Amino acid sequence: MLCEFDYLEPTTLADVLEILGQGDAGVRILAGGTDLLVNIRAGLITPKALVNIKKTAGLDTFAFHPDRGLEIGPAVTINQLITNTEIARRYPLLEQCAEMLASYQLRNRATVIGNIVNASPSADMAPALLCYRAKLTLTSKRGSRKVGIAEFFTGVKKTVLAADEIVEKITIPASEADGKGGYAKLKRIKGHDLGIVGVALHKKQDYIRIAVSASAPTPILAPDFQAKDSPDYIAEQVLAAIKPIDDIRSSREYRRFMASVFVKRLLEEVRA
Amino acid sequence: MKITLTVNDQVYTRECAPSKNLLHFLREDIGLTGTKEGCGAGECGACTVIMDGKAVNACLVLAAEANGAQIRTVEGEAKDGILSPLQQKFMEHHAVQCGFCTPGMLMSLRELLERNAKPGEHEIKQAIEGNFCRCTGYQQIIEAVLDLTGQLEHKGELRHV
Repeated sequence: MLCEFDYLEPTTLADVLEILGQGDAGVRILAGGTDLLVNIRAGLITPKALVNIKKTAGLDTFAFHPDRGLEIGPAVTINQLITNTEIARRYPLLEQCAEMLASYQLRNRATVIGNIVNASPSADMAPALLCYRAKLTLTSKRGSRKVGIAEFFTGVKKTVLAADEIVEKITIPASEADGKGGYAKLKRIKGHDLGIVGVALHKKQDYIRIAVSASAPTPILAPDFQAKDSPDYIAEQVLAAIKPIDDIRSSREYRRFMASVFVKRLLEEVRA
Repeated sequence: MKITLTVNDQVYTRECAPSKNLLHFLREDIGLTGTKEGCGAGECGACTVIMDGKAVNACLVLAAEANGAQIRTVEGEAKDGILSPLQQKFMEHHAVQCGFCTPGMLMSLRELLERNAKPGEHEIKQAIEGNFCRCTGYQQIIEAVLDLTGQLEHKGELRHV
């Protein structure tokens, strides 16, 4: 049984901001619920109220604008992203990371923004959004601010999001569209599992960007590479950017080894 | 709070605590115990139901969130005591061992068959990747669906992959 809490279903963003603006840390946003309800059940969170934002007007925005880029609202699910063939074609890395996330049923509920706000080091959407230099719009009654995805994460399950703020949308620049990319994720089993280490690679005409999950307290974006840089050089730089730990699922050494293998494998794929 | 939802074409209105999940609501409040609770945390898929056309883990949906929704559960499969064709194929292929994962498997596959009338082996596996069978009878389940959709080449022979 879950702990007792109130349930709210605001229909407008203004109402959501009003509720969050009361400054009660016990009020939590409920989007997909696939992390939140698990944490409540485990007793890790005991909220006073959940604010379901899936029926809030405008928060399901999901569209590509040639000038502004791709905009994703907090009610957009992982499977909505996968089944949108136009967006999957323009941002292939988004789709690849999305397909590696959890199981089919969970992807029907889990949201893109929820995966980011949960801020797990192994968040599967983070590497794609880091490679695409996504920007988050954080909104509260006080106003809106834009934060780069690399600045959003501050630690394990920690972000810059204030208690009265909601991530109103993620924007991916139009200039990052139509690249080549891939996501390689090491898991214990072939089915759904948390990542042991994951490497995402995004290649445009003249640059390559690589991000790594489950290899530091936050998902990591390596410095930009030139398209002509050697695989050895790139792998070396990526390994210098990550700080994996030893834990029950893998040793630090194995994570570093597989990160290097994945970097080289993905480079071969995009250069083929 | 009061919620109203439709389960297998029947409308139910009940008082419900905001913290109750859809799984417990189905089992305890309207007495449909076909949907099972395995892990209660979205890992095992035993509680899979179809909500507004999408397979979901009923343990990770609040009953309040399902207010106004159309739900399908395993009880909606058989009609007038006759198993659905999918259930028939499960029986023929011995795709049921202990049976605990079966309601969830059936709902995941029902949703798959509604989006894809002739799914390939890869698509079947993907549809049930979130459904654990601890008797490990996956191959029989895959064969049941391949047979149902007219794609099984060597009928009656178990192919162990």
